[in-house]
Amino acid sequence: MNPRSNTARWPLLALAFALSGAAAAATFDADWILQAVARPAPSRTVFVELRQSPMLKQPLRLQGEYRRETDGRLVRQVNAPYAETTTLADGEAVVERSGREPRRIALSQVPELMAVQAGFGALLAGDRELLRKTYDVRADGTREQWTLQLLPRDPRLARSLARIDLHGRGAELRCVESHPAKGPPQLTLMAGAAAAAAGVTDSAALAALCHGSAAR
Amino acid sequence: MTATPGTAARLGLLLAWIAVLAVAGWALGRGLRMEEDLRRFLPTPRTPAQVLLVDELGEGPGSRVLLLALSGASPEALAARSQAFRAALSARPEIALAANGEQGGLDAIPEHLRPYRYLLSPTLDTQPLDAAFLHDELQQRVQDLGSPAADLVEPLLPSDPTLETLRLAELWQPANAPQRRLGVWFDRAGAQALLLVQTHAAGFDSAGQQAAVAAIDAAFADSAQGLADAAGARLEISGPGAFAVAIRDRTEKEMRWIGTADTIGLLLLLGLAYRRWSMPLLGALPLASGGLAGLGAVALLFDGVHGITIAFGFTLIGVAQDYPIHFFSHLRPGQSPRASVRALWPTLITGVASTCIAYATFLFSGVEGLKQLAVFTIAGLGVAAASTRWLLPRLVTPARRDPADSRVLSRLWRGVERLPRPRAALALLAVLALAVVAFAPGAFWQNDLARLTPVPPADLLRDAQLRAELGAPDVRYMLALQGADAEAVLQASEKLPSVLRKLQADGVLDGYDLAARYLPSIATQHARQAALPDTPQLRQALDEALVDLPFRGDAFEPFVEDVATARAAAPLTPADLAGTPLELAVSGLLLQGTDHATALVSLTGLHDPQALAQAVAPLGAQLLDLKQASESLVAQWRVRLLAALAVAALLLAGTVWLALRAPRRVLRVLAPMALSTLLILAVLRALGVELNLFHLVSLILAAGLGLDYALFFDHAGDDRSEQLRTLHAVIVCSLTTLLVFSLLALSSIPVLRAIGGTVALGVAFNFALALLIARAPAAGSST
Repeated sequence: MNPRSNTARWPLLALAFALSGAAAAATFDADWILQAVARPAPSRTVFVELRQSPMLKQPLRLQGEYRRETDGRLVRQVNAPYAETTTLADGEAVVERSGREPRRIALSQVPELMAVQAGFGALLAGDRELLRKTYDVRADGTREQWTLQLLPRDPRLARSLARIDLHGRGAELRCVESHPAKGPPQLTLMAGAAAAAAGVTDSAALAALCHGSAAR
Repeated sequence: MTATPGTAARLGLLLAWIAVLAVAGWALGRGLRMEEDLRRFLPTPRTPAQVLLVDELGEGPGSRVLLLALSGASPEALAARSQAFRAALSARPEIALAANGEQGGLDAIPEHLRPYRYLLSPTLDTQPLDAAFLHDELQQRVQDLGSPAADLVEPLLPSDPTLETLRLAELWQPANAPQRRLGVWFDRAGAQALLLVQTHAAGFDSAGQQAAVAAIDAAFADSAQGLADAAGARLEISGPGAFAVAIRDRTEKEMRWIGTADTIGLLLLLGLAYRRWSMPLLGALPLASGGLAGLGAVALLFDGVHGITIAFGFTLIGVAQDYPIHFFSHLRPGQSPRASVRALWPTLITGVASTCIAYATFLFSGVEGLKQLAVFTIAGLGVAAASTRWLLPRLVTPARRDPADSRVLSRLWRGVERLPRPRAALALLAVLALAVVAFAPGAFWQNDLARLTPVPPADLLRDAQLRAELGAPDVRYMLALQGADAEAVLQASEKLPSVLRKLQADGVLDGYDLAARYLPSIATQHARQAALPDTPQLRQALDEALVDLPFRGDAFEPFVEDVATARAAAPLTPADLAGTPLELAVSGLLLQGTDHATALVSLTGLHDPQALAQAVAPLGAQLLDLKQASESLVAQWRVRLLAALAVAALLLAGTVWLALRAPRRVLRVLAPMALSTLLILAVLRALGVELNLFHLVSLILAAGLGLDYALFFDHAGDDRSEQLRTLHAVIVCSLTTLLVFSLLALSSIPVLRAIGGTVALGVAFNFALALLIARAPAAGSST
């Protein structure tokens, strides 16, 4: 098995999570959002992730939580429909499944991932400048209902990843919507949106939850 | 008195001579095929290990492997550099293979071979492709789809739901690979990124290895682009090829300063001795002509000239440098140069002829290298002597002064004449020397070729460390299985892994690699085909496995097709691998001749060769010790050389006898060189030096020099002026030779030290003993 974390989806999502939950500032722009969602470690948040594939009868729906540890490790723990823990540290992802040997995956193996990781690392360090070197960052909406668009600057990265949309309200990051270059967008609902998604199976309703357009 | 030719004629002849040499040198430089493999210089192989070593391997597959380590930056930066470096290396034509642990993934397996995965992978040997197995695998795939790696895995799933392709790619990673961090190999401490490189050039091909090392350096420099963090990273290269390049560089560097010092020294010495600046140039022409003639003769009579022939040959014809010196020292006013050389010729030709007759014995030694050496030296010495006799006198203007008029020399000679002829003391010295030679402690002979071009201990230690970290194959030991064809040896070698794994567990060895790991025998492939379910069976198993899984029912149709293809396909043979990345791995370990084949098993970290040899012997595998095989060849070479030398000594004595026809004179001429040889041996043995082939060849040169010294002293007879001229000639000869070879003796390279030290000692002993023994009884002292 040779899974490479060849996707921008979850590291960024974890990053966004890590940064979530700061106090509101006076003006609204990308900087405001980035500052607002930043939160000191350790912290945790639940997520609901939907994975679509033409091979599947219906989208795969994962539930679990993201944790950011004080030592800088990021953990993605899937609780249902199966148990799996992925730990991200030192440029490496360690995937543990019950009853099996842990697998180690390097984030640096693919040039695209290097860029992702650089942007990721930069954000963790609060280095917005480096993030802006990796992505073209655009903010949209209001403080109450905002969208942050990340567009990869590296053309090689852009070949596999069209863009990432982060949706949120105030200091809360509610959804990460990753648009691969090919195929449907993949959604990860977080925090309040994840809680609201309980029992919701209709994909249109879930997409509405992600975009924040659903009534509360 | 003959008229000397005019200046214009002399200049014309000189230029013509130089032109001929230049053209010959150019033609030889273009047409000469140089062989670098030392084994080609050795005798015909006898034992199986020798045969394999010489005829098939050249050297083991391990000799082509270079170990690379990157250090001096953060692990992240090193990993990035390692990736860029590997990519740059793969683009180089000198590099056959570069691995750094990055999984080539699907690139390792060409598209048309993919259905063969079920025949190549051992997975299904223990695990039938049934509903339970498929269910477990597909459950894993669901998790893979929900993982960050989904985008990578998803395209593979329809045709390969068990991810057999990736399992094969992983299986084909170098055996015993080091730990992978950040996607590339790192040492255990995590401070160095490691890479393995296989060169196209063989390990002994130092020119090819030099090109490969240069390519690696260039690729390393290229890989720094755009990686600011890793710009300060250091590269270390280790392995047989790198050592060969390092020693070659070191030898060239030392030879450069030694050559420069020699040139200056020789110019000064000859200029001082003859007070004419044309002499050093003219004196170099016979030796240069001899060297080129020797090379030309070997090129004409043999397929290629061995590098060692050239090294040994030029050492041996070094004696020809003395020919013009004898001639120059016998020039005197009032006698034409041609008359001088004519008077000298009988003595000169006695030395040349007896030496050449002695070397002719090498022709019958049955060793290709020695035959080449004989042709080289005989042609070289003959041409050098002939050009001294017939060409040089036409270029030299008559002398303005006679060395015999030198007051210093006269005084010196009177001192020499007062010396006793200590027969009893010399006989005692001979006995003492013999005793030292016989009884000095320590090994007499040095057979280990590697010790001649030694690697610094620190580098060797580093190599062992890297080799252990990288699990790189042992360069000394390997297993060999012989059989009628590739299929036979593949089948035989498939029985080995179970034994080897047990030995691995017992700590006998750390790891191994064999061709059957990449290409199973046809029999095994047939067995795997038979174990594959047919299409209805597979469909049923798949349906059963999919019952509680979220996959669509028709999602795995391509998989069903692939299995059907694999069931019906003709098994893969080595020929089918041509052009794939597997070709290299298999061809290095599976040697196919016209009527037989050999499968090799490369070994890693062999701790107990004896135990391994015993354990694999019942399976028909043989442990090869390449070092022992090459040492036994060296020993064989030496036995032949010594036998040839014994005959040569008798022939030489006979020739001198024929020329001189007086027992006392023959004894006076031969005794100094015999005693000198004994004394050199005694000194070397007393110093604890183990003798190698280079010492032997140097001893032969020293004996040749000694013979000439003694012959010329003998030739001078009791004529005072002749004695003084001969003294002048022998002093100049021995000083020039001493200068050249004592500088060589200062070298840090054992080969050069062996040659230099032996010849320098020989010159000193031969000079002293020739004076003591060979000089004619002074006129008047006996009357």
